[in-house]
Amino acid sequence: MNGATLSDLLLLIPELILVGMALALILVARRIRKTSVAVVGTVLAALAAALASVWALPDGATTGFGGMITLDGYSQFFKVLIAATLAMAALLSVKTIDGETVPRGEYHALLLLAATGMMLAASALDLLMLYLALELMTLCSYTLVGATVKSPLANEGAIKYFLLASFASALFLYGISLTYGVTGSTDFVAIASALSEQGFGANPLLLVGVGLVTAGIAFKIAAVPFHVWAPDAYQGASAPVAAFLAAGSKAAGLAALGRVTLVAFGSQAEVLAVFLAGLAALSLIVGSLVLLAQTDMKRLLAYSSISHAGYALLGLIGGTAEGTSATMTYAFFYVFMTLGTFGVVIALGERGEKLEGYQGLASQRPAIAALMLLFLLSLTGIPPTAGFAAKFVVILSAVRAGYTGLAVLAVACSVVSAFIYMRVVVLMYMREPQEPAPSRFPVAISAALALAALVTLIGGISPGTVVVWAISP
Amino acid sequence: MTLTATTFLPLAGAVLILVVGREQLARWIALATTVATLAVSAPLYVNFDKASSALQFVETRDWIPSWNITYGMGVDGISLPFIFLSSLLSVLCIGASWSAVQTRVREFYAALLIAETAMIGLFAASNLFLFYIFWELMIVPLFLLIGGWGGPGRVYAAVKFLLFTLAGSVLMLVGMVALYHTFGTLDFRALAAAEPSLEPRQQAWLFAAFLAAFAVKVPMFPVHTWLPDAHTEAPTAGSVILAGILLKMGAYGFLRVSLPILPAAVQIFVWPMLVVSAVAIVWGAYVTLVQTDVKRLIAFSSVSHMGFVTLGIFTLNQSAVEGAVLQMINHGIISAALFLSVGMIYERTHTREIKDYGGLAKSAPVYCTLLALFCLAAAGFPGLNSFVGEFLIVSGAFKTHVWLGIMAVWGVALGTTYVVWLFYRMVMGELNPGLEGLKLELNAREVATLAPLALLALCLGLYPELILSYLHAPVAQLLAGVTP
Repeated sequence: MNGATLSDLLLLIPELILVGMALALILVARRIRKTSVAVVGTVLAALAAALASVWALPDGATTGFGGMITLDGYSQFFKVLIAATLAMAALLSVKTIDGETVPRGEYHALLLLAATGMMLAASALDLLMLYLALELMTLCSYTLVGATVKSPLANEGAIKYFLLASFASALFLYGISLTYGVTGSTDFVAIASALSEQGFGANPLLLVGVGLVTAGIAFKIAAVPFHVWAPDAYQGASAPVAAFLAAGSKAAGLAALGRVTLVAFGSQAEVLAVFLAGLAALSLIVGSLVLLAQTDMKRLLAYSSISHAGYALLGLIGGTAEGTSATMTYAFFYVFMTLGTFGVVIALGERGEKLEGYQGLASQRPAIAALMLLFLLSLTGIPPTAGFAAKFVVILSAVRAGYTGLAVLAVACSVVSAFIYMRVVVLMYMREPQEPAPSRFPVAISAALALAALVTLIGGISPGTVVVWAISP
Repeated sequence: MTLTATTFLPLAGAVLILVVGREQLARWIALATTVATLAVSAPLYVNFDKASSALQFVETRDWIPSWNITYGMGVDGISLPFIFLSSLLSVLCIGASWSAVQTRVREFYAALLIAETAMIGLFAASNLFLFYIFWELMIVPLFLLIGGWGGPGRVYAAVKFLLFTLAGSVLMLVGMVALYHTFGTLDFRALAAAEPSLEPRQQAWLFAAFLAAFAVKVPMFPVHTWLPDAHTEAPTAGSVILAGILLKMGAYGFLRVSLPILPAAVQIFVWPMLVVSAVAIVWGAYVTLVQTDVKRLIAFSSVSHMGFVTLGIFTLNQSAVEGAVLQMINHGIISAALFLSVGMIYERTHTREIKDYGGLAKSAPVYCTLLALFCLAAAGFPGLNSFVGEFLIVSGAFKTHVWLGIMAVWGVALGTTYVVWLFYRMVMGELNPGLEGLKLELNAREVATLAPLALLALCLGLYPELILSYLHAPVAQLLAGVTP
């Protein structure tokens, strides 16, 4: 391996910006008197990181740090997406993170560092690098879940998340060691060439290694049966943290999984397809069925995110470039519609966290009810919203891969989950209000909601604008 | 551009209503938008070439280049009458809701206008992707209309409507994706041209997937159970759109997708479809007979009437298919008129039970005259519009199999019975004591709302060629592709 040169650092400008802002916030944490200062800092850093990742791309892909990090269209796409997630999560936090129970500076520093981990995961070309990136993200996430120290639910969620995530990380590491043992490398390209030479038949240990690595990443996207942490963590966490996890952790996990399955394990796509199809089917079934029983909005959205992990996986089954771009498109639209839904939950405050809280909302606050309707339609996958375009591409990939039965299962599950999404609509539009109208919310939340709604609408009317950027590695 | 303008003008109106915050203004904006839409669509009827079976007023634009999906619009003789019906009924819906809807007026009219965009767009779409988008777009405003402004059982009805239609249409999504995967395009004409390369077995699966969506919308026996609830509980405007247009979308789907793109599967499915249609006609008519709720009675009659339509389509015989399309228009006119009439009297009496009526003739002569006209039209009385359509379908059914013809005639007889009996119970005899003191006669706005439909029922009855002339060429082309 070559040593890293200064020019390699250029590949990491977006991450360096985030880390820089995180350090700055920690250093001056005690002096920040207003929440808005920390929020503005985070949003600016996210914006700068997004711009840097758009502009920093030279012609074609470049690698650095001895082939551990790459900057290509794929990582660029996810970096922009993660930067958007970070900015919106920071904006959505203004009401909840008041600086009294949760320290402002540290909270936003953790958001920034978690986002750094997510971005690195999208760029990693090496299993160890990927492990470090995902661990950075997860480590910050535990802390964020438990940030509301006085809430017992938050503590419970954080501890469960920590224990299960440690277990998953151990599986991941064990998978890396087995893969390394057989192929002699942790580098994606080297693994790929070793795999296409040996295949799984020659060495069953390799199959175990690849399976464990996939399982470790599946944990991050909360695919069944690696989903158990999500409902408790989301419910325990404050709503903005849950939103950040639901969107960011999923995007980073999908970015990692997309690259690993296509670049490193691509030659064994057919074997991997069975595994991924199983994960997808289970996530779809469990996610949509358990969804039906939820009355707590954060828990409901946790199961929703589990079922959406199932949809997103449909794109990866084929092991093709087209399928991976389908998953990229799905991840992109999913992030905005999920952040939008969480945004409404957050905007409504305590009332937004219970299903009954939505009763009669349409007659009290027609605009926010209409936004919620838009996001819920998108989660259901009804045109003309981004959710439909996303569903269309991933189902197309499943059919292309020859998994038509799975495609039918997926759409059947979407009808099941439609029942609960539409129950919220029923409550908003078809019931009388039981509680006084919710109070006004800060303009930062409106800004995040507006961005989410804009992408959800544009993605539905003209999905091509996003699809062209979704270039697989 | 005419088709795009006609399609999206209502949507623009809906946005305007939501932006302008005044409730009183909402009604006027909605009325102006629907009338303007009707006016904008006028060149379509004037400049249409009836002799051609090709798509006309074609518009094609790049939409999603990376998926090779274009924005395509175009109409032929089969779709054009439905664009007229959709835009006309939308105007009448505004008229019917003027005083009936008093709560959350802006949202109501916005939903109505969005539904209009979906209806017109569906009939104007020249590719399956756009067709599907409008198909699904239709569900949302109707769900809100039924559940937000409907009767006492509105929430149950709305959710049932939503789940049934959604369950059907997601299978259509899989069918659409499979077609796209196979041919790389979703343009109706291109698919019809490429179709012979599909094996009958594949076609049969695809047919089943599309059938799930179309059968729920028509609705065909036995997936019709959402219909009586939805139609009964919906506000008048919702019932009018459901009965007038939404049910036609399913039958139109057969004509636009199943027949041209999956002809080999049609040959396989033709008998099951015919039998199910015949069962729907007779069974639907019997169930209609025993209803005690006026709206529910009209709703159930739709099951029987739409049975005639699918029967006509699957006889695959030129005159019967033309009759089926004509009957779709006729049913759109008559059921809309009946729902409007019932809605108007309900606004005064607040009861839907037939036994609470009786003797309306004396206190509301104009209303009863119009109602009589619509009931006779529904019964297939010669000289009124349904007669020709039913005649064409029944004769086609006899040509296919004598038993189908007998079932159809049986259905016609039962149809006359329930509708005349309904009229007798509501209008004849002494005035029901419960109705005394109520001002039952229609006002000018209501007469103006019903008059266009009465006029259409008469004109189409006396001169059915008004519609049929549009149908000859496209139906001939359609059937040339289906019959081996």
